[in-house]
Amino acid sequence: MAILTVDRLHKNYGRIQALKDVSFSVPQGTVYGILGPNGSGKTTLLGIIMDVLKASSGTYQLFDEAPTHLHRRQIGTLLETPNFYHYLNAVQNLKIAATIKKRGHEDIDHVLKLVNLYERKHSRFSTYSLGMKQRLAIASSLLGNPDVLVFDEPTNGLDPVGIAEIRELIKKLNQQGKTIIMASHLLDEVEKVCTHVAILQKGSLITHGHVDEILVTEDVVEAGAMDLPLLQTTLQQFPGVLHTKMNGQHVELFFAPNTALLESVNRFCFDKGITLSHLRLRKKSLETKFFELTQNNK
Amino acid sequence: MVQRLQLEWMKMKNYRAFWILMSLYLVSIAGVNYITFRAFQEALASQQAKNMAQMVMGHLPYSFPMVWQMTAFVSSFMLFIPGLVVIMSVTNEYSYKTHRQNIIDGWTRRDFIVSKMLLAIALSVLSTITVTITAAAFGFAEGSEAFSLEKFVFVGYFFLQALSYIMVALLIAVLVKRGGLAIGIYFMYTVVIENVIKSIMNYYLNNAGRFMPLQSTDELIPTPVLENLKIPMLPAPDYTTLTIVALIYLAAYFVLTAYKFEKDDL
Repeated sequence: MAILTVDRLHKNYGRIQALKDVSFSVPQGTVYGILGPNGSGKTTLLGIIMDVLKASSGTYQLFDEAPTHLHRRQIGTLLETPNFYHYLNAVQNLKIAATIKKRGHEDIDHVLKLVNLYERKHSRFSTYSLGMKQRLAIASSLLGNPDVLVFDEPTNGLDPVGIAEIRELIKKLNQQGKTIIMASHLLDEVEKVCTHVAILQKGSLITHGHVDEILVTEDVVEAGAMDLPLLQTTLQQFPGVLHTKMNGQHVELFFAPNTALLESVNRFCFDKGITLSHLRLRKKSLETKFFELTQNNK
Repeated sequence: MVQRLQLEWMKMKNYRAFWILMSLYLVSIAGVNYITFRAFQEALASQQAKNMAQMVMGHLPYSFPMVWQMTAFVSSFMLFIPGLVVIMSVTNEYSYKTHRQNIIDGWTRRDFIVSKMLLAIALSVLSTITVTITAAAFGFAEGSEAFSLEKFVFVGYFFLQALSYIMVALLIAVLVKRGGLAIGIYFMYTVVIENVIKSIMNYYLNNAGRFMPLQSTDELIPTPVLENLKIPMLPAPDYTTLTIVALIYLAAYFVLTAYKFEKDDL
């Protein structure tokens, strides 16, 4: 079963095209990351799915059915910012959410403990820090133990400990069989917690699929010697190298993921009569990968 | 229906500004009637003045059955207060984005806007009950005539008027979304703009100004003293037409408010 299917969604704000022909599908049991820089349309997309925005054209389905408010009750959602009544405390706010979701109020203490807000449950929302507000929003989405969760930038405003906790929580929820749809502009966050990813840029879906297929990172070996052009032509013959690139003080060799062996590179050069002055393996950064993905589709 | 109103109550019952405004409102209705009551008592202190008033108006202003019309008329000047309550309630949702969250959590857009309409109706009912109690109290306190429901229809008109004033507030709140701006427009419209247009229409269009949205409900409860002087320039109010006009406007407020909220991006 697909939890969410998006079909040719378009959204215009006046002349601005926020979403252009976006189609993809979220399988059950996945952690589905929607990755994209600020303003790429992530929140617009989730807003349409939650019926707070109207699509200009295109359709979407929830649980393989035409979407209604009853589907939304089975989905815990944090969209863009924590939205609560500033003058009410945590418990009063969650009671309102629980009433709308038609869930009992007995869950409230439990979800507040999950996000470490139990001690402050009688403080007014307006007295909370940004991180606490974010955690209350996550608590609210967990009310009634829904099988599907939608998180828009869930670690926004959290400190490093809070970020780690939320990521752990997301993984734990996924292990319990829940499907999680998560929008983020943080590439390493998506890489750490997601099983699938869709990449949005300027409203267009660039690519989508399994994280291991999309965010594969090549191995890069940096090598340096006295005669760099000679080094480059020599290393082009090294078995397994995909391509080489001159980069300032050294030559860069690109290998398929986890195939680069520094020892063999060193021996190869030595056998060819070149003494290396520099040799280093580095993983291509995810950011570089992301730029590559997004640059090709301008 | 009950659940929607219940949720609105959960939102309001811990909101201090709501209680302050509501207390002010109830005190103002009693207060403004008391001031008018005292003013008439002093103006009509002599038996001669009383006879004059009775001859012109038929009854003394705060005696039964005149008191129903009198209290409804005087209290109607306080109707901007429940209007403010509704504007605050709606624009708060916009600024906290809780209108979005309510829908994300599983309300339909209609659930949300109906809950605000129910708030408007509840405030109108509360206003009408308050006016009824206040009028009865002053009628008995004045005591010159026996209890009578003869002019009680004005309390019914007051309900229409209250609902109209409050629904206009709701419509403006949904249209402009921002609290300060909505309050500004509400006051500008109810106090200045409509009155200017009304006067112009009355002058050029054969008194058509009385059919302006809020004016049509104002006309339902004419100034108790002037009405009976039968100023020849003013046509006598045609209650049936005015009621129908007021109901048409009310239906328009409900439809427009729902349409705007259900069709737009939130």
